[in-house]
Amino acid sequence: MKTLPAGQYIPGHSFLHQLDARTKILCLFLLIATVIGALSLWSYALVLAVIALLILVSRLPVRPAVAPVRGIYRFLLIVFLMNALFFGGEEVLASWGIFQLSREGIRQGFRVVGNVLLILILGNLLTMTTLPTQVTTALESLIKPLKFIGVPTEDVAIIISIAIQFIPTLVEETELIKMAQIARGARFESKKLLERAASFIPLVVPVFISAFRRADELALAMEARGYRNAKNRTRRKKEPLAPHDYCALAVCAFICLVQFLLLRNLV
Amino acid sequence: MAIKVENLSYSYEQPFGEKVGALKNVSFSIKAGDFAGVMGHTGCGKTTLLQLLAGLRLPTGGRVYVNGEEINAKGYDRSGLRQRIGVVFQYPEYQLFATTVEKDVAFGLKHSGLSRQEVIARVQWALETMGFDFAKVRNQSPLALSGGEKRRVAIAGVLARKPEILIFDEPVAGLDPHGRENFLRFVKEMNQAGTTIIMASHNMEALAGYTKHLLVLEEGRLIDSGATREVFLRLQQRNNWAFGQTKAQRIATLLAEGNLALSPAVVTYDDLLSALKRELTGGGKG
Ligand SMILES: Nc1ncnc2c1ncn2[C@@H]1O[C@H](COP(=O)(O)OP(=O)(O)OP(=O)(O)O)[C@@H](O)[C@H]1O
Ligand SMILES: [Mg+2]
Repeated sequence: MKTLPAGQYIPGHSFLHQLDARTKILCLFLLIATVIGALSLWSYALVLAVIALLILVSRLPVRPAVAPVRGIYRFLLIVFLMNALFFGGEEVLASWGIFQLSREGIRQGFRVVGNVLLILILGNLLTMTTLPTQVTTALESLIKPLKFIGVPTEDVAIIISIAIQFIPTLVEETELIKMAQIARGARFESKKLLERAASFIPLVVPVFISAFRRADELALAMEARGYRNAKNRTRRKKEPLAPHDYCALAVCAFICLVQFLLLRNLV
Repeated sequence: MAIKVENLSYSYEQPFGEKVGALKNVSFSIKAGDFAGVMGHTGCGKTTLLQLLAGLRLPTGGRVYVNGEEINAKGYDRSGLRQRIGVVFQYPEYQLFATTVEKDVAFGLKHSGLSRQEVIARVQWALETMGFDFAKVRNQSPLALSGGEKRRVAIAGVLARKPEILIFDEPVAGLDPHGRENFLRFVKEMNQAGTTIIMASHNMEALAGYTKHLLVLEEGRLIDSGATREVFLRLQQRNNWAFGQTKAQRIATLLAEGNLALSPAVVTYDDLLSALKRELTGGGKG
């Protein structure tokens, strides 16, 4: 059974859907800061509670909302082991050659993995409740101040949004190419590490080529449809934030403050 | 190799846990040595069906038997199956990756147990079958070839495994008329040499002129199947199925509207030609 690309937009009318995309992006950054700064279990409990609340409020189905957890557990396992075995520390529980398993290492491993997961889920909640075009527009207006130091902000925003939109297509394409290579005898499940790595060449090369081809086609199509550069495009009227946007921002700022001022040093 | 399908269903999972039924309760069988076509509107489930037949997806319901053995049963030898079923996907040229044409075509023979000499012989055979000059093309980069040549290299990569069943998904899309005829003639020769062929296509002329049997899908359901000529004639009776008509059929319809009813009923250009000849010579005598 095909797994869905995580983070696909699901239409709806929940509170989360109605928030301005700019608000959601800023809130996402505040919550990410909260996660990264978390040291105590209390901080994590707070973030988990916030996520649970957000899923409830957004009325999203739970499974897709926490989908990133399912997709990358192998990667997370490796991240965990790297941290656990190389972090060092005083309370060494066991050691094999250069590897040292310490209590601090294990804690660090859990912390990093936990952070990655929480940040992915938060990002997922953003993209599941916000149209890609809204994300672009919002990014564009948020990075506008950078214009004064010569950054072509509209172009940067478009680049980011195209990258986001390409992800599902690439996932699908990868699946098709994998199928095609399996059909002509490719094996992706070899036990030997080197062999396994080599077996991905028939997958990676066509996917890259196809990504470049698509990028090229897209560029041509954009040009054909009259995209020159950002400067001459018509401006959209600026929409002010609504009261509930300010509330959401205040709540997220409050959560962030609580975490950094109160919970951070609790054990 | 014969294929039998019983109550085959497949759904794609969508967000919200919603399922999209791409195939619904499809049953049919294809005899060894057959040339079967799969026809239907875009999105009707042709590609899904072909992927299920090749054992590349797990059905959500029903069974696929190849030579009487269920291919999704536990303990079934899947890699053996892959050896015997070759699949040419839509736009197969996108699966090329190796540094030379020779290596790319040989890719599928890696686990075949053939010796180096045998592999080279196979690759040469496959490339020559696809109309290449082996000595000239073997060391070229497959990515530097033209679109049509890339496709032929990709097909050679499938042929090199000498599959007993060849599955083609929309193989003539994007080929010019000359390339299309050449390709279809080649598929026909493969079929005459004993390979079972299954081909999905939007191209009515290709289906009418080359396949022996047809499967017609509509929104995931099998709505008709049987000998190609009969299926085309039956589809003609369905007034809402303008899709399932060849150009020759349309011409014959127009002629009939202009009071020139041809018989027997016309499906292919050959039918049309011989019916017209009969009409003209018969008319001349009478
Ligand atoms: N990866 C996928 N995820 C979700 N739905 C899919 C996926 N692939 C196909 N579908 C859906 O399944 C149905 C059948 O698709 P399929 O590709 O088998 O059709 P097809 O007959 O091959 O179409 P075409 O003639 O355009 O190639 C379609 O409704 C399509 O939207
Ligand atoms: Mg298709």
